[in-house]
Amino acid sequence: MKQLIQILEGLGSTLQLLMRAASYAGTLPRQIGRFVEQCYTIGYTTLPIVAILSFFIGSVLALQSGHAAENFGPKQFIGLLVGLSMAAELGPVMVAVLLAGRVGSAIAAELASMKVYQEIDALETMNIPPARILVLPRLAAILVMMPVLTIIADLVGWFGGAIVAKYTHFISIEPESYFATMRQYMEFRDVWNGLVKAEVFGFVIVLVSCNIGLNTRGGPREIGASVTRAVVVSLILILVLDYFVTKALM
Amino acid sequence: MINMQQTARVGLFFLLGLALIWVTFETLSGGKVFKDKGYQIVAGFESLKELKEGDDVRMAGVKIGTVASTRLAGRRAEAVLRIDSDVKIKEDATASIVMSGLIGTNYIGVDLGSAGAGDLRPGAEIHTKVTPDINSVMTQLGSLGAKLEDTLGSLGTAMNGNGKGPGLLQKIDKLVSDNGENVTATMANVRQVSEKLNKGEGTLGKLINDPKLHDDLVASVAEIKSTATEARNFVADAQNIVDQVKAGRGTLGALVYDDTTGNNIKVTAANLRSVSDKLARGEGTLGKLINDDSTLRDAQAVMKKANTALDGLGDSGPITAVGIVAKSLF
Repeated sequence: MKQLIQILEGLGSTLQLLMRAASYAGTLPRQIGRFVEQCYTIGYTTLPIVAILSFFIGSVLALQSGHAAENFGPKQFIGLLVGLSMAAELGPVMVAVLLAGRVGSAIAAELASMKVYQEIDALETMNIPPARILVLPRLAAILVMMPVLTIIADLVGWFGGAIVAKYTHFISIEPESYFATMRQYMEFRDVWNGLVKAEVFGFVIVLVSCNIGLNTRGGPREIGASVTRAVVVSLILILVLDYFVTKALM
Repeated sequence: MINMQQTARVGLFFLLGLALIWVTFETLSGGKVFKDKGYQIVAGFESLKELKEGDDVRMAGVKIGTVASTRLAGRRAEAVLRIDSDVKIKEDATASIVMSGLIGTNYIGVDLGSAGAGDLRPGAEIHTKVTPDINSVMTQLGSLGAKLEDTLGSLGTAMNGNGKGPGLLQKIDKLVSDNGENVTATMANVRQVSEKLNKGEGTLGKLINDPKLHDDLVASVAEIKSTATEARNFVADAQNIVDQVKAGRGTLGALVYDDTTGNNIKVTAANLRSVSDKLARGEGTLGKLINDDSTLRDAQAVMKKANTALDGLGDSGPITAVGIVAKSLF
């Protein structure tokens, strides 16, 4: 019962934070510096790890499906399989998981320590709403950066699969054939749905992490607890929302 | 504080993302912002088999649209086809359900139709034809298999025989087992002969193994050849003679081919015969001479008389002698 109330409390406070941040949306042009900084942290610095991870996800997808297809034939569809899996599911979800671990935890830690060391209180005393200068630029930054990260993850994953498909001796599919099946059977809609999904995930991760960080109470020990909670809640929400968003987009 | 380098990186990064999204979009959707709605036509079939929504519609192998929906209409199934708006289908074109694989991936194949026909209007119905699906092919294969089994069974009966009589194989078996001894003996002989041949024994063996015999044989053959040439000349000469005879030239020719000679011979033969007949019957002087003893005796008597007369004539002179001979003769 207590946990249910906690969940509802968390949901309510998150929505309130969203409303407050949205109400300051007009101030964004004046916060361009903060916005760019957040874009840099969230997007640019996350790129290498996203690229490495998605390259190997694409490779292993091609390898596994090629190994499975070896026995019954339709190897030429490996391109389609890797393409669809990366674009529709693995690209957005893996980028979201990475962001939850890398960005969500950082946001939660930063805001929690600000809260614990009463910087947030100081801001409020100066009539500077934290939702305006701390949450809004992050939300805006993730909305802008998430599609970029996701499309890079998709493409790098596709190329990883293509390289594995060409150079693995039991698959040996030329990149032309690999991308031809992708082009033939995939539509941009598949990629677009993945981008929409990623946008939802990123937005939720940042919002939840901000909310948990701002609601930290107690001493420095609570900072670590908040970070853990932010990451765990983000991961759960990613997979739960994944199902519903996918269903909604079908 | 805005770090200019940071801003530039973020801007570049964002532009890169946009560019990649645009490239993906161009590649996958062919640059059409909104999906080409195209136009729809209806194809009615007895059965849609494995056809489902979203399957391709192809003309001469090129994708020209998709199956928009499938539905039951009365006593047949209908597939609504969405055709790209830049593709025109002829009124007499025919659609059929084609299998592209064994695992249930089908598409609708539309042929080109005739060049002169008009275009099919949106919403119109296209002609269809039934193509055999995997199930009917399998059924045919099954009946073919049964026939094959029958044929092989009767072949087997012919080979192995039924309960009533022996089959071909049994007959061959019996033949072989009955004559096994003979066959073995024959084979032994053949072997013996071949061994002898190999060793150069006997005429044939020598012929095969001895070069001298071979040379002799070649010489003999040459001789035979020259003999044959002579024989040919001889035959040619004979032919020439026969030709001359046939042409009635020379004695033989005249004899064989000239009627007058024949007739003469016949007459001569008849005369000879009548003379000999008369002789046999004792007619005429010679006949009597031959057949009648009395003539001989008369002659002998005459001769005696003549002898006597001649003895007595020594002096009487020749006239008396003639008179005496004439007297004794007549």
